[in-house]
Amino acid sequence: MKNNIRFAALAALLVFALPFASQAAEDIKAKPWNLAGEELARFDAKVVDIVCELSGDCPADCGGGSRQLGLIAGNGDLLLAGKNSQAIFTGAVVDLLPHCGTTVTVDGLFTGIDGGPKLFQVQFIRPQGAGEDIKANAWGKTWNANHPDLKDKKGPWFRKDPRVNALIERDGYLGLSHAADKEFLEWFE
Amino acid sequence: MRPGSILRQVLFGAVALIALTGQGRAAGDGERIQVTGEIMDTWCYLSGVMGGPEATLGTAHHTCAMWCAAGGIPVGLRTEEGEIYMVLKLEGAGTADGSPAVLEIQSNQITADGMAYARNGINYLIVERIVSNEGITNVSHEDYGLVPPFAIPKGEKKKILGSE
Repeated sequence: MKNNIRFAALAALLVFALPFASQAAEDIKAKPWNLAGEELARFDAKVVDIVCELSGDCPADCGGGSRQLGLIAGNGDLLLAGKNSQAIFTGAVVDLLPHCGTTVTVDGLFTGIDGGPKLFQVQFIRPQGAGEDIKANAWGKTWNANHPDLKDKKGPWFRKDPRVNALIERDGYLGLSHAADKEFLEWFE
Repeated sequence: MRPGSILRQVLFGAVALIALTGQGRAAGDGERIQVTGEIMDTWCYLSGVMGGPEATLGTAHHTCAMWCAAGGIPVGLRTEEGEIYMVLKLEGAGTADGSPAVLEIQSNQITADGMAYARNGINYLIVERIVSNEGITNVSHEDYGLVPPFAIPKGEKKKILGSE
């Protein structure tokens, strides 16, 4: 029994030592963003469809971009990849989707406020066997490809996005009404 | 040590490892719940990129929440107690592609019925049905202004104020 306990303890130690320590700290390429609870990391992980992992509802294409994707680290933890490397407002699904179901090396940072869940921001992805990291910045290019009529118009994508602009047109920037926007600006400006 | 004994110990260690890591956990161990809270932008709330978390809720952050949802940032539901659920599906559809249904409820106070899952410190929710929607009730711009301040472009501000 004593030996069994020793083996279990060793297994537990291995589990907790492995998760994000698969790459040396000096290999990390991610840049700090000075975010809450920030922790830079580079590790191998399997890209997964989170709905599939949790509920067993598993379409062949990992949802084709409609589902949030996660990372299963070396210790079996399911991590939520919430952001790519672009400055603001862009998630990681477009960058991770081509790798869904495969193991890649991800490089980025964990962030989260005290007591809250942690999100992983993916800055680089290296598929197995590839010689170089791929920068996780595919979202903007994909938006441009999907909006050929808007991509050359002045301004960032989020100012031009027809889905968002239709709702601003209807409900205003505060989401209450155009009258509420005006009342706020008259007071605030 | 006998080979059989070593094999038993290795197997015991492997079982302990699987139990500890959750790798052997079967999909489908969720719990049906009804939960009430605000639909919110998880990145800005959790990362602190826009300042304190309270400033990234409600009307102050409404436009930014729509931008983040359109950009595929995970959408959350935050309860009054501050618990956060990552909303993975909304009435049958995924939430990562900025669908009109997902954008429509940003900053809204809703009661959702669905399946909840917890894994590695994160709560997830598959919303099967929105039971009720009170609309936007968190009038946070009165405390925080606009978050981020550039949410309304300068030219638009002039138009809204009628000075252009």
